[in-house]
Amino acid sequence: MKKKNRWAFFLVVACVLLPMMALCSCEKTKEKFTTYSFDYFDTVTTIIGYESDKEEFDKVSGYILSELGDYHKLFTVYNRYEGMENLCTVNDIVDGAHRTVKVDERIIDMLIYARQMYEKTNGKLNVAMGSVLSIWHGYRQEGEKNPAKAELPPMDKLLAAADHTDISNMVIDTENCTVTLTDPQMTLDVGAIAKGYAVEMVARSLKEKGISGYVINVGGNVRTVGAKPDLEAWSVGIENPDEDGSDYIAYLNLTDMSLVTSGSYQRYYFVDGEKYHHIIDPETLMPAQRYTSVSIVCESSALGDALSTALFCMTLEEGKALVESLDGVEALWLTNDGNIHRSSGFSKYEN
Amino acid sequence: MTDKTNRDMPAVQADGRRKIKNDIIFIAVLLVAVSLIGLCVFLIRGEGDSVTVTVDGKAYGTYRLSDDVRVEIRTGDGGEHVNVLVIKDGKAYIESADCPDGICASHRAIHREGESIVCLPHKVVVTVISSDKNAPDVVV
Repeated sequence: MKKKNRWAFFLVVACVLLPMMALCSCEKTKEKFTTYSFDYFDTVTTIIGYESDKEEFDKVSGYILSELGDYHKLFTVYNRYEGMENLCTVNDIVDGAHRTVKVDERIIDMLIYARQMYEKTNGKLNVAMGSVLSIWHGYRQEGEKNPAKAELPPMDKLLAAADHTDISNMVIDTENCTVTLTDPQMTLDVGAIAKGYAVEMVARSLKEKGISGYVINVGGNVRTVGAKPDLEAWSVGIENPDEDGSDYIAYLNLTDMSLVTSGSYQRYYFVDGEKYHHIIDPETLMPAQRYTSVSIVCESSALGDALSTALFCMTLEEGKALVESLDGVEALWLTNDGNIHRSSGFSKYEN
Repeated sequence: MTDKTNRDMPAVQADGRRKIKNDIIFIAVLLVAVSLIGLCVFLIRGEGDSVTVTVDGKAYGTYRLSDDVRVEIRTGDGGEHVNVLVIKDGKAYIESADCPDGICASHRAIHREGESIVCLPHKVVVTVISSDKNAPDVVV
């Protein structure tokens, strides 16, 4: 009789409890959602998040996109918006000179950060290079529109523009929240830092709100916010642009960290069959030649963005020396001949 | 006190053996139940890998990587722009496109979860969706 009771108990466990447990765990499991936007920073934004329902994900991703949109409007040098000063209006010339422009605090903070990055990277990241970069931008756009007539910018034009890239002519008044470019021929271009900076600011505000389990990727600036459900790290692959090579050149596990990759394959145009990409070396004024991609792993996506561009324009020795001098920063270089170099602590993020 | 313990010993041991036997049966039942649930999950999810296409963030279509297909992804107000998506031998790539930069068409074929091909001018994203647990969440 006792034995039968035991069996009955087991049967209850097996038939009732187990399926119930399975059902409960299914209900609690958060689903993975993804959304894309082409509205900001002239690139694609991907948001991945784990939520129990689509409605909650839409709420959070909507917030992320609206914040990114605000930063985009402030930092763009190609568009102006009514009733609003942004970097485009800072670049404006009125009566032969730049005005002193009262701007949003977020612009001031970003420009101060950009100036620090100029110091840190020994001038390899220079947001005062707008005059040079706008020439490349114009020739690339023309070349894309009319590939048969694609041309390189003439060097004398680039050299003349390079005389007006002294970042000390960017005068910031933090008290009055103003920016003045004291060289009338100088302009700002924050393309090498704006995306990463904006992503970092949005990620921090998510953290403040207690939101977790998201990845924001704005054109190669990947920022993980918290871990996946069950505290699992996000897995992030770095693409191997070489079709004959392995699938990934590295495979990382990241939680609350950023991975920023600058690659020569991300944006380019052809002139006489030669590929010319978009990362311009401030020294040669030409696309930097050494690498296919440079990836930075660190907490801040703003730092990662600045460093990935700067390291792209440095020799391996210079880049390694810089990375090793910084706390919590690791890097991976893929050279044009297909060799992979890692900073000393990079592999701790790899599987 | 000592006597009583000695007298009870055999009975306790016999009961313990029975308990162990029952526990083994219980574990066996549990294993069968778990593997049945696992099989159900596998059957539900095992649809194979596919690619999803979005245009300006909106779903455009989903295509299985196991099928060889050729899809004209039409974009623009009157569908005047096109990216030709080809799926062959389990991989997806953009065969041709009339976008100004042509970067999507020179992208390598994709087949692993998280991999994607992006056409910025036409706002097209082709992404691999897979049931592979070891696949990365994001690829840059």
